[in-house]
Amino acid sequence: MAEHNLEQIEKIREAVKQDLLGGRIDLLLGWEKGHYWWQSRPLFAQSEEDLEKLAWDSFCAVNLSRYLLEELKEHNKVGVLVKGCDARAFNRLLQDNMVPRDRVILYGLPCPGMLDYDRLAAEAGSVLLSITEENGQVVLITAEGEAKADRDEMLLDKCRGCIYPDPAVYDQMLLPPQGEKESPERFKKVEELEAMSAQERFAYWEKELSRCLRCYACRQACPYCSCRECFVEQENPRWQGRAYQPSENFMFHLIRAYHGAGRCIDCGECERSCPVGISLQELNRKLIKDINELYGDYEAGLDAELEPPLLTYRPDDPAAFSEK
Amino acid sequence: MSTAVNENAAGWEPLIVAFCCNWCSYAGGDMAGTSRMSYPANVKVIRVPCSSRMSPMFILRAFQRGADGVLVAGCHPGDCHYSTGNYHVRRRLSAFKRLVEFTGVEPDRFEVRWISSSEGDKFADEMADMTNKIKALGPNGKMRDARWQNIT
Repeated sequence: MAEHNLEQIEKIREAVKQDLLGGRIDLLLGWEKGHYWWQSRPLFAQSEEDLEKLAWDSFCAVNLSRYLLEELKEHNKVGVLVKGCDARAFNRLLQDNMVPRDRVILYGLPCPGMLDYDRLAAEAGSVLLSITEENGQVVLITAEGEAKADRDEMLLDKCRGCIYPDPAVYDQMLLPPQGEKESPERFKKVEELEAMSAQERFAYWEKELSRCLRCYACRQACPYCSCRECFVEQENPRWQGRAYQPSENFMFHLIRAYHGAGRCIDCGECERSCPVGISLQELNRKLIKDINELYGDYEAGLDAELEPPLLTYRPDDPAAFSEK
Repeated sequence: MSTAVNENAAGWEPLIVAFCCNWCSYAGGDMAGTSRMSYPANVKVIRVPCSSRMSPMFILRAFQRGADGVLVAGCHPGDCHYSTGNYHVRRRLSAFKRLVEFTGVEPDRFEVRWISSSEGDKFADEMADMTNKIKALGPNGKMRDARWQNIT
């Protein structure tokens, strides 16, 4: 990685080391390198040695806020490194009363967007050995030589639509902010689907959802799915069976998305964690788009004080059905 | 709960599930009955305490188990027995209706209507109207649970 990056890691490490060793926090949630160089997995640091493993590179896509639900059971005070989406996820949990604000310290990391290994590998053509980054370009290093690619083109899907790379909530900002981004493509795919006929749309979703294994990885990764008992595991009434059944796949995905209506922070962790690559974010974005259209602009997770649109009403609200 | 699915090619009759709120729409149905109005027998009414009792899972479960159309009926906005239930459900089901349409279900298959307890005629009209629309669309195969297909 570039020197610039090592500098940043050192800066982050210094800041959190003080707090962790000084006893201000019992645990730090960060990232460390995984088995492969293109993986950065969550790090649960409790000592100085653990902090040596701390990583901050272009693969730290995992949303750490969700881990607070488990970690706060065992630790009194937890520090978390938060990117833009992690901070919005924290606001989500805060609004749902799932985490106490005074037991968490947030270290803000403005995010340049995370890279998609599959895209990099496809761009490289042959076996990709490593990458370096410079001036908005990614240098792909393969056995045959080097190639350059535009960094924006190599981003994860979830990062392409990102508007808020800077943490919306933090106790201490560790790196200089990036500023708000524009995302003209955010609802592009939703609009394409809306333009299709009902039959075409059904065919599209039937194909997408038929791949679903119902491993529930999307639910596990999601900051809005924090129910102690999920409807899919409820025994009575039993909404979801164990067998493969396309109609139950529809049920699961519609209800999963619907539970995030007005609450989804659009972090895209569901889609990223999906092992069969279902375009789950489109369902979430459809709801965001419609609710914004009908009941006024609302961006979940930016401000924990604002009431989510589906928890409130106005007597003169419009409806998506005839009210005659 | 077993469900009647009438899907004989020739004599196909649609099955419509109407979730009616206890205070207005269900009473509207009663009013239609006491006023001796008739509406199609394709509509099966399920009484719910309030239209805001509706979980979207009820709607999808109805489609899974053989419904060709689902109607949710509640009090007119402002008239809710619990003051604000139907204001909330207006937002919730508007979002849900669009989501269901987004996945390919025809818009007419899922409707929401406001029917008060004095509107027996409106109740009968809406039920007839819904039945005609579903008859025009034909049987619903979308989101149907294959294991429930041939149970009569």
